[in-house]
Amino acid sequence: MILILAIILPIVTGVLLPVMRLKARARNLYMMVCTLLTSVLVAIALTGDFTQLELISLNKKLSISLHLDDLGKVFSAVIALLWPLTLLYALSYMKDAVNQTSFFTFFQMSYGVTLGIAMSANLLTLYIFYELMTLSTLPLVLHSGLAKSVKAGLKYLYYSLGGSAFAFIGLVYLVYFGGGTDFLPGGLFVGVGSQHTVQLQLGYLLCFLGFGVKAAIFPVHGWLPTAAVAPTPVTALLHAVAVVKSGVFAIIRVTYFSFGTSVLEGSYAQYISLALSAFTIVFGSAMALKERHLKRRLAYSTVANLSYILFGALLMSAQGLYAGLMHLVFHALMKITLFLVVGVFNRRAHAYYIEDVRGIAKALPVLAVVFVIGSLAMTGIPPLIGFVSKWSLAEAAILSGGLLPLLGVSALLISAVLTGIYLIVPAVTMYTRPPVILAPQKVESGFYVTLLALSAMIIALSFYSGPLLDFLYQTALGAI
Amino acid sequence: MEGLLLLVAILLPAIGSLMVVFMPWLNERREERCFFVGVIMVLECIVVLLIALDAERTLVLFEMTKQLPIALRSDGTSRVFSAVMALMWTISGFYSFSYMKHEQNEKSYYAFYLMTLASLMALTLSGTMVTMYLFFEMMTFISMPMVLHSRTKEAVAAGIKYLIYSVAGATMGLLGIFMLTPNIASPYFVEGGSLLVEQLNLPHTAFQVILLVTLIGFGTKAGMFPMHGWLPTAHPVAPSPASAVLSGVITKAGVLCIFRMIFYVIGPDYLRGTWVQWTLLSCATITVFMGSMLALREKVLKKRLAYSSVSQVSYVLCGVFILDTMALDGALLQMVFHALTKDALFLCAGAIILQAGVTRVDEMHNLGKSMPWTMWMFTICAISLVGIPPLGGFIAKWYIAEGALITSTPVFSWLVPVVLLISAMLTAAYLLPPSVSSFFGGMAQAETAAIAYEKKDPPLMMMIPITILTLAIMLLGIFPGFMIEVFTSLANTLF
Amino acid sequence: MSLVHNFPFISILLCMSAGIFTSVFKPRIARMVTFLVTGTVLLLSAMALSLTMSLDDSYPYMMGHFPAPWGNEIRIGRLEALMATGFSAVLLVSLIPGFERMPGFVSEKKSNLYCIMVDLALAAVLVLIYTNDLFTVYVFIEIMTIASCALVAVRQNGHTLVAITRYMIMHLFGSGLLLLGISMLYGITGHLLMVPLSEAVRQIVDGGQYLEPLTVVIALITAALAIKSAMFPFHVWAPDTYAFAPPLSSAILSGIISKAYIFVMVKFFYRVIGMDIIISQQISPFLFVCGVAGMIIGSVIAISQRDIRRMIAYSSVAQIGYIYMGLGMGSAAGTEAAMFQMLAHAAVKSLLFLATYELINVSGDRKRFRYLHGAGYRNIPAGIVFTVAAMSMVGIPFTGGFIVKLNLAIAGMAFGGWMRALVLVALAVSTLLNGIYFLHTVVSIYRKPAQDMVYPPSEKMSLPAAGALFVSMLYILCLGIGSEPIMRLIETGLKTFS
Repeated sequence: MILILAIILPIVTGVLLPVMRLKARARNLYMMVCTLLTSVLVAIALTGDFTQLELISLNKKLSISLHLDDLGKVFSAVIALLWPLTLLYALSYMKDAVNQTSFFTFFQMSYGVTLGIAMSANLLTLYIFYELMTLSTLPLVLHSGLAKSVKAGLKYLYYSLGGSAFAFIGLVYLVYFGGGTDFLPGGLFVGVGSQHTVQLQLGYLLCFLGFGVKAAIFPVHGWLPTAAVAPTPVTALLHAVAVVKSGVFAIIRVTYFSFGTSVLEGSYAQYISLALSAFTIVFGSAMALKERHLKRRLAYSTVANLSYILFGALLMSAQGLYAGLMHLVFHALMKITLFLVVGVFNRRAHAYYIEDVRGIAKALPVLAVVFVIGSLAMTGIPPLIGFVSKWSLAEAAILSGGLLPLLGVSALLISAVLTGIYLIVPAVTMYTRPPVILAPQKVESGFYVTLLALSAMIIALSFYSGPLLDFLYQTALGAI
Repeated sequence: MEGLLLLVAILLPAIGSLMVVFMPWLNERREERCFFVGVIMVLECIVVLLIALDAERTLVLFEMTKQLPIALRSDGTSRVFSAVMALMWTISGFYSFSYMKHEQNEKSYYAFYLMTLASLMALTLSGTMVTMYLFFEMMTFISMPMVLHSRTKEAVAAGIKYLIYSVAGATMGLLGIFMLTPNIASPYFVEGGSLLVEQLNLPHTAFQVILLVTLIGFGTKAGMFPMHGWLPTAHPVAPSPASAVLSGVITKAGVLCIFRMIFYVIGPDYLRGTWVQWTLLSCATITVFMGSMLALREKVLKKRLAYSSVSQVSYVLCGVFILDTMALDGALLQMVFHALTKDALFLCAGAIILQAGVTRVDEMHNLGKSMPWTMWMFTICAISLVGIPPLGGFIAKWYIAEGALITSTPVFSWLVPVVLLISAMLTAAYLLPPSVSSFFGGMAQAETAAIAYEKKDPPLMMMIPITILTLAIMLLGIFPGFMIEVFTSLANTLF
Repeated sequence: MSLVHNFPFISILLCMSAGIFTSVFKPRIARMVTFLVTGTVLLLSAMALSLTMSLDDSYPYMMGHFPAPWGNEIRIGRLEALMATGFSAVLLVSLIPGFERMPGFVSEKKSNLYCIMVDLALAAVLVLIYTNDLFTVYVFIEIMTIASCALVAVRQNGHTLVAITRYMIMHLFGSGLLLLGISMLYGITGHLLMVPLSEAVRQIVDGGQYLEPLTVVIALITAALAIKSAMFPFHVWAPDTYAFAPPLSSAILSGIISKAYIFVMVKFFYRVIGMDIIISQQISPFLFVCGVAGMIIGSVIAISQRDIRRMIAYSSVAQIGYIYMGLGMGSAAGTEAAMFQMLAHAAVKSLLFLATYELINVSGDRKRFRYLHGAGYRNIPAGIVFTVAAMSMVGIPFTGGFIVKLNLAIAGMAFGGWMRALVLVALAVSTLLNGIYFLHTVVSIYRKPAQDMVYPPSEKMSLPAAGALFVSMLYILCLGIGSEPIMRLIETGLKTFS
């Protein structure tokens, strides 16, 4: 019951927003209250153990159902934690923008839809919410109405549709061969004979490429850097946390809970997907280095980091999944921090390019420090959180043996060096070069609160992450 | 609490650094600030000495994950390295009190100076590979502001180059750490290494390639070919006391990491006789030769000294890579003497720049007449660097050469001494002529001989540290016994 | 035999008499009558549907006093009743906004002619759904062709006249083929009623004597019905016709009438010939390939259209392709999926044409995309309805289109190799293509128009019209969410269809 409530509440409150015609302050309050309420509901859901809740039955084998297992809890927790913070930021960010009502409507609705993805009990439900997510986030990308936003939005739309179309094929494969789309640990084919294995692997590969659009795998990553034109709360939350992590989440579900490692391990499907993700790791980092526009640089960085997660998950071992989940959580935190800082630079200092942020530490010292923390964490400098996830990924890769995982480790390390260059060098220039932007506008407290909270979380997790890591490990073991 | 002293060794300069940044009362008058910094450094030396005299202690700081403890341990190597580094740091620190009067932003300089000392101490006292990596990276980031100190475009570019090379090198090292972790008996450093050779989960060749990459990666800080490119740009552009410690001390941090990896994790027996050893020896000998050649061509004094560091530190690495007790002794001796010598040379160079405005070696003629004390120190250090007895450099090079000769390493057992000899000659060629010309001027200077030169020797605060270093070089050169004893006993535990 | 058994017959009769009587009514009354008749038909069909659900098998119904094979007969089963209910519902809901906008297209003098044609068209559709003999099929197909022609030609406009000419040529050609086929079939079997016909066909197949003529007959009749239902590559008449007709006519033609032709084809295959022969004579692979080609090519051409109505017309061609792909698979699952698509498409297409007209209306009556920017804000209900309809075309979950895709894909999976791959890839590509032009349009109607664009003020949509559109939208959503009972009905209905 709580599950459906948590999903419906944000959607309904979002839809009601334009109808209510509230003044700015009232609207902001309303948004905050609804979002916090939803997060509280999620928190309650996390503590309990809820059995499957079937909403609609399409036929004997197919239904739309919700269920919150360990993996779902991880994702829901991340979303529920980061959404209110980003809303707080967005309220300050969008203060003088036009069309705020439609923005916040879809922002709120996307929250519900993302939770729906996290709480799906079977692939059909996940697919449905996945498509809905494309539709609910599209207006956010299009928000400014400028030609470049429309182009970016359409690109996002076409890529997502193409991806869903292929993921749909994978879905049909599951229905046909597996007799249903439920998520079971170990997949639907444990203990079943192997006459159809090759077919299943093909189906998986199609699913992987399909969901991989949102997970920004090469070659279907192209929409992500272009979508950086959206307002920063959108890029930060959706394109660094919700949308892209949904893609990764879907792939993890499909790999471990639908097709299962027994079918996929050692197959050509695994090799192809591993190779693609390893390539994307290096490709994304290299493209980020070339890119001089700050938000697009971070977007390419996201492309690379998502493939870290996928790489871990595709090793088809508990260790690998554990490492991947760790990076899922940590990257969400680090990337959202970086995007939000850059957003303030965009909005209040009109600094959009690397060249513009030179010397900005003088005028905006706190923000520069936050950027430094985020950069160091992303590069994987110990003791900050990025290091532990990279370490675990490498450890899992080495444990699984074989050539391809080792190539993956090299890819990881090359990416680490490149990340250092494309993030830390700008951070250094913030302090050492003469300032380009001399008088930024006033930065509201809403920005500071959000950013400091996120930085504090990064630092806290760096030193005390025991219970979290234990839970992730338990989740990973439960998936095999 | 066991090992509390280790924590103090790290926290003392760190807290001192933070106090310099945040306490306004310290920054009102620069004399107070200098006094404070001086006191911290002296206390630090005392703490380090106490650690050296104490027994071996271990302290776990925190656990990143269950399998990755971040821990400190004060074993033989730690004590040697930490003592050398702390003393060098203090002496250069005292020099900088006078020198830095002429530069801006003293507060940030001292803050980073102390913080780098803290991270260096933590590095030397590290007890596991991951701890070492953590503090290695930290040290890179904290020392970088010292490179960039003057904020000119060149300084910033040099700083960024330093950063990129260091991060790349550390990442290469990290690769090795990843590969080794599942294959060693204990995450802590164990004398003689703890590699479980029979159970390697990789084919040997692949493993050896990775080891090579790792060691070359850590060699970045030490300026070993092929990762030496940052050093000649970064060392000269920093203020002279910073150059001194960069060349003299921080390069040794790179040596330390290599040292730890070879002797405490992998174990010298695994590497001896393999192509990895030969490749490493080649890199080191190439660097020795190349560094000297480039120093000879270079006319700017500080850059010449920087290239010279590239060369001299690779002497140390040569000694390490021979994987034999005597050569190791030589390597450690060379480390100490080079630290002392290069430190002193850079400090002299600083004095020369400051007092006479001279930056190039071809402008140094007749300098000895106006700055006699400085140039005498310079000359003595130069002689030691060349390796002429009875000064310290000779003993070190002798041990390395003899250590090479007595082993059965093909080719290198004679190549190393030959290269050392050639390098010595080149060193003479690039250090002695400026010395000589400073005293005797050019030819046909008869008229000028009569001119009375204004005495421009630097103030006492700068001269005393230089003198102390030079005296140490002379004394330790003549009475090396104590050091040789310590180093030999350390080396014996490692083989 | 209860009263309800007579309902199908009564509904046919009602429509035909309404058609006749409308010629003397005033235009307003005529429209009211048409509306009421359609409503009544809906009610009657719904009750017939519930009757058939309680029966095990379909029942024959004598028209007149003589039993078959001498008299005429119609047959009523679940499938037929379901189709009748669905189509009449769609028609009812389309009439409200359609009639409201009619004065813009049809002069007052001609408007009761229009209503007559609507009544006749409905009657013809019902007959074709229920009929059990080929002669009736031919007669009412002709009636339907003429009625459709009139529905389009009533708008006196250059484009329309050109379109209608092309329409007439192709349809009359098709009718000719149909007549030829039916006569040949009569020639070799001696029957026109479907039940004895199927026995005769069985005999021919077993005997092996007239096999080639039989194949020719099947080919002729299939081709005729394919032309009339705008299957690729016989679709050439469709885009202009749908684009330039009054919106209500386009809705009726592309939504309902084209489906009636396909239903006849299904009836012919299942009841007269038998699917096994259809498959063995390579008819169904041909339909499959044409269906797939239509799906893709229809969408590709739609992308290049500048005029929104032509875009929707081409998308009809594509959607009919879905039906033929399902039918062409030859399996029961495929045909069931095709049937569901018939219902879904009827609803969506009518909705689309009507909503599009509303959007055009608030954009100064201009159809090019440039002018449509911001239409979604000028007419909010039409915008929302258009969006939902577009989502169904693309196949977004919770709409009928998604269920269609799902069923087609699962039906395709049962085959191996080429067919499966082709089905899946075609569905995937088609989704993407549909997305490109439909969702792009949705984005366009919600974009801000250029600064210098001036739109003349237009009257707002009346409440009944808006309400009708909403009901239609709900219908699409219900098909998406509650499709299971409908699919079950189709499944059981198909079993008793032959």
